[in-house]
Amino acid sequence: MAVASVVALAAVTCSAAAQNYSRPTAPPRTTDAGALAAQARDRLVHERFLRGVAAEERGDWSAAESEFRSAVALDPPEPKGSSARYDLALAETHLGRDDAAVTLLQEALHRDPRFAAAAANLVVIELRRGNLPAARAAADRYLAFAPDSVLARYARGLAALKAGDLATARADFRALIGADPSYAAAHYDLALVELRAGRDDTARIELDRALELFPAYARARFALGTLLMRDGRRADARVAFDRAARDAADPALRALAIDLRDRL
Amino acid sequence: MAAMREILRMAIAGVLALGACAGAAVGAELLLDDPAALVTSAPPALLGPITETGRTGWNCAPERAATAKTAAAAGLPHD
Repeated sequence: MAVASVVALAAVTCSAAAQNYSRPTAPPRTTDAGALAAQARDRLVHERFLRGVAAEERGDWSAAESEFRSAVALDPPEPKGSSARYDLALAETHLGRDDAAVTLLQEALHRDPRFAAAAANLVVIELRRGNLPAARAAADRYLAFAPDSVLARYARGLAALKAGDLATARADFRALIGADPSYAAAHYDLALVELRAGRDDTARIELDRALELFPAYARARFALGTLLMRDGRRADARVAFDRAARDAADPALRALAIDLRDRL
Repeated sequence: MAAMREILRMAIAGVLALGACAGAAVGAELLLDDPAALVTSAPPALLGPITETGRTGWNCAPERAATAKTAAAAGLPHD
């Protein structure tokens, strides 16, 4: 009994003593200067990413730009090198420096030619700034390695439609509808293709489908109104413009719809 | 002809940017003369940040969106 008590007390004491001391630092696995420098660089890259992504998520693009510029300067291996350039491009475009963003995304794609998010953002930036040849070239490259991507298909369709390449735009929006028949905007854009090609009947079918899927789609309702007006169906056109005016979130579209409605 | 159509589209873009009532009337005339000048759906939104380890695993939201097979998964605009 006495022996058991002593053993139990010793166990408790040892346990208590073990809790009083932190675990010793692991011994270094190398003393090689090059390996230690690489470890230090990896930790810096890690820290830059942590801070940079946190800054991006709170919309502090200047801070994000500084962190990711430092990460890029550290030249991390793939996929971190291309990811750092992608994040830096995101900061640059939010700071209004689209030229720099485009260059960074091109560098990211040079490092990793199948970096889909970089390809997507490159097309988006070129579309947004109206550089249609560059948007089309970027979209072609994106679609070549991601042929099933609906984002790639949509982006190239838009670039082609805006540039007047109706055959490519038609093929892309049809493929997009084939992949996702419930996507109303693809039907609307296909209707625009057909309108520009002078195929009003086909355009009407696509507009009807878009509005069936999304009855509050003001842009599609407005387009239907113009089509009806051209057909001489003034009463139907008036109803369409009235509904477009009520559904439109864009004040300019609402003003146009009201103006046309009031003429009928 | 193509140049003329481009000028019309630029004029409408200006009208839409201004959103003024007087401008709207001018834009309406242009739209009725040339329905092909109707604006397209919205461009896609920029994809978001990628973390240090994002692309080494499967759970990278921007990469998933960029290769998605449905409009909702890709985050395409509604209109």
